[in-house]
Amino acid sequence: MSSTEQFTEPATDNGPLVDDAVEVGEDLDFQRAWWRFEKIAWIVLSLVLIGDAAGLFGRGWLAKAEVTSPDQTLHVGYERIERAGTPSEMTLRIGSTAVHDGRVRLFVSESLLQQLGAQRIIPQPATSDVGPNGVTYTFPATGSPAIVGIELEPSFPGVHRIELSVPGAQPIEARIAVLP
Amino acid sequence: MAILTILRAAWGYLFLIFISRIVGRRPGKQLAPFEFVLIFYLGGLTLTGMVGQEFSLTNAVTQIMTVAGVHWLITKVRASSPRIARLIDGTPLTLLEGGQWRSLSMKAMKISPADVMAMARDRDIGTVDGVRSAALERNGEISIIKKQDNKQE
Repeated sequence: MSSTEQFTEPATDNGPLVDDAVEVGEDLDFQRAWWRFEKIAWIVLSLVLIGDAAGLFGRGWLAKAEVTSPDQTLHVGYERIERAGTPSEMTLRIGSTAVHDGRVRLFVSESLLQQLGAQRIIPQPATSDVGPNGVTYTFPATGSPAIVGIELEPSFPGVHRIELSVPGAQPIEARIAVLP
Repeated sequence: MAILTILRAAWGYLFLIFISRIVGRRPGKQLAPFEFVLIFYLGGLTLTGMVGQEFSLTNAVTQIMTVAGVHWLITKVRASSPRIARLIDGTPLTLLEGGQWRSLSMKAMKISPADVMAMARDRDIGTVDGVRSAALERNGEISIIKKQDNKQE
């Protein structure tokens, strides 16, 4: 094959030409459809931002949730929508009926420690007992309500079920969605 | 998880392509200062989400390779399918032809006759009469074709 043979395809205009017009390759039908799409995209982006400000994707009032156990021993304030790698805090109020001999016990499910990445428990528990489904902490308590904070930093996106309870009382179950 | 960092890198790249396509083309050969801000700021903001807390060299290398791979794939698909190329790049738009402004296209692309004439002056054309056609190209430049003086001969 000689070196010129590969250049044998004639160059042609592939668009319709009228009166020797300049071939721009414009596709107005596509462009009009795109402009419509752009408008919709901007509306969607605006709605996403408004939703974000309201807490639809966590860290806002829509994400905040509170739940109390049926027997009133435990009240939990948490965020039902969390963001991966972002710190948040869960607050637990433990009622007076749970205080025995100056101590309060609290069971937290494994999902809270693993998927939701519990970093720190305030105050520091006196003891931690590891069980098959979670950990039971014991805190010295002088009065009630005893307030315990758990600092979370979730690492696994998904929906996780958590369980919290004062051993012997009714448990609290909740679902927390972690966004990537 | 390693697979998540790869997915994050690919998602970040595709999302930025989408956003830059939505933000749109602006005429001009060079970036204006505020467009530099847009580019650097978007880059920096993307970085925080893509890297997360994984500051390892392994993470950087695999994410760079992911972005390179996705870029290669998009370039390949774009070259093989005119429909996808049109989606990614858009289509050129005629702005001025036969002495008529394409007002609707210009309004939609936020281009004024002054923008077109600025580019015409760049091509040594001083008046609208000297322009045979003007088009907004896919890369955001306005291309001008000069009216030939000897066309009537």
